[in-house]
Amino acid sequence: MLALKAFASAALAGLLGLDTVQAGQLLLSRPALVGPLLGWINGCPLEGAKIGILLELLYIDFIPVGGVVPPNGCAAAAAGVLAHAAGGLAPSLAFFVGMAAGVGYSPLEYRLRAARSGLNAAIDAQVEAGDFRLGRWLGRAMLAEGLAMAGYVLALTGAAWLLARLPGLPRLYPGTDFAYSLMPWLGLSGLYFRFRTQVYKKG
Amino acid sequence: MLLKMFFRSFLIQAGWNYERFQNVGFAYALQPALERACADREKLKAALLRHLQIFNTQPYMASFVLGNIARMEEKAAAEGGDLRHLPGVKQALASSFASIGDRIFWGRLKPMTVQVCLLVWAACGFFGWLFTGLPEAPAAGVLLAGPLAGIAAYSLFSVYIRWTGLRAGYACGGSANCALDAANWPRLIRLLSAAGFAMSLAIALLAFALLVGFNRGACRPADLALKLGLPLAVLALHRVMRALGRSVFFSAGLILAVSALLFGLLGLEPLKLYL
Repeated sequence: MLALKAFASAALAGLLGLDTVQAGQLLLSRPALVGPLLGWINGCPLEGAKIGILLELLYIDFIPVGGVVPPNGCAAAAAGVLAHAAGGLAPSLAFFVGMAAGVGYSPLEYRLRAARSGLNAAIDAQVEAGDFRLGRWLGRAMLAEGLAMAGYVLALTGAAWLLARLPGLPRLYPGTDFAYSLMPWLGLSGLYFRFRTQVYKKG
Repeated sequence: MLLKMFFRSFLIQAGWNYERFQNVGFAYALQPALERACADREKLKAALLRHLQIFNTQPYMASFVLGNIARMEEKAAAEGGDLRHLPGVKQALASSFASIGDRIFWGRLKPMTVQVCLLVWAACGFFGWLFTGLPEAPAAGVLLAGPLAGIAAYSLFSVYIRWTGLRAGYACGGSANCALDAANWPRLIRLLSAAGFAMSLAIALLAFALLVGFNRGACRPADLALKLGLPLAVLALHRVMRALGRSVFFSAGLILAVSALLFGLLGLEPLKLYL
């Protein structure tokens, strides 16, 4: 049942992750929503919400302008919540696993975007040949991205499950718990400085 | 036709690539207008190839450009005008609207959704976002209501901008400054900055008030001072790291490393920020 929920959660993360860049941009992929949602599915909505909002506070520091690939908040929240719910790590350590997971997803996302550059010539050739169906290219691109996200989250959940079985790991928990308790303040300071800078610079 | 373009505009970034950015998504969204404007397949082919070239702007604001270009293509097809200036107009609008959209949506409204979430949670009496170890059992509905409130407000506005942008662009299509005056953007940006800063201040004050409130009477004044000092130290650390060009993850990693060393490996007794 746990494995089934983990698979379903990873698939949902793959679907919601499309909202980050490719489809909609309705913020359905933000950690603040993905966290409690996956937590609810996996029976730990409170820890999911905490992990999600704290990741959100840190990830909100990054702006996706131009061609920049910022750390992926959806991957972070999904990996963080599943590292706790399915992997068995303490919420504090699962949060930091999630934080690193979002950063680690960026190179993968970069490669997917770079790979799509190679398709431009094929799309041009298709249109030249009189076939104007562009939607299928977009569909393929979204399928690849969704599968990559789901696979990545699932792989990290497996890694977290293995990590949780390391002897002596609980010795780290007092330290991770304390660091975790300071994360809200780190996030709030980011939020404060973001708007303070804007007001100071007069928009 | 505009409705079809509107729905397709949600996929404008689906084929985002480093060579030509949003080109495939833009051509796909524009396709209904091109199909209506172009009488034969050869003209449609030429038009699609024209719009499969490089294009990039802020995704919500792309609809302003889409509407404008759709009207330009229609006019050119109907009146036989030339489209030599089309790439220039497209590029100029894309740059201008990207600058406006990035400031409004990414720089201001997106962080404000987090602020709304925190304020909704605080209003519902859920403080787990501040005290991670606090034993609480809020309803799942409360936990989802916070993020959904901010996201719903944001999404309604972004969808509204997508639709009105498409209509405004289509109404005034043809010029390089089309629809740039659709709203008083600088005023809106200033207002959002001020509102965001006010909410940031309110949340910061609330957080410190909660910290004092949860600890008052439960610990000695010296401990309370330490508990107040720690968040201030985190704030100062973040400020310094920002000034040094380090991301927030560097600060988070530093805090984790020091905490793991002191309380994990050296076995010191960690204090809790609440109680």
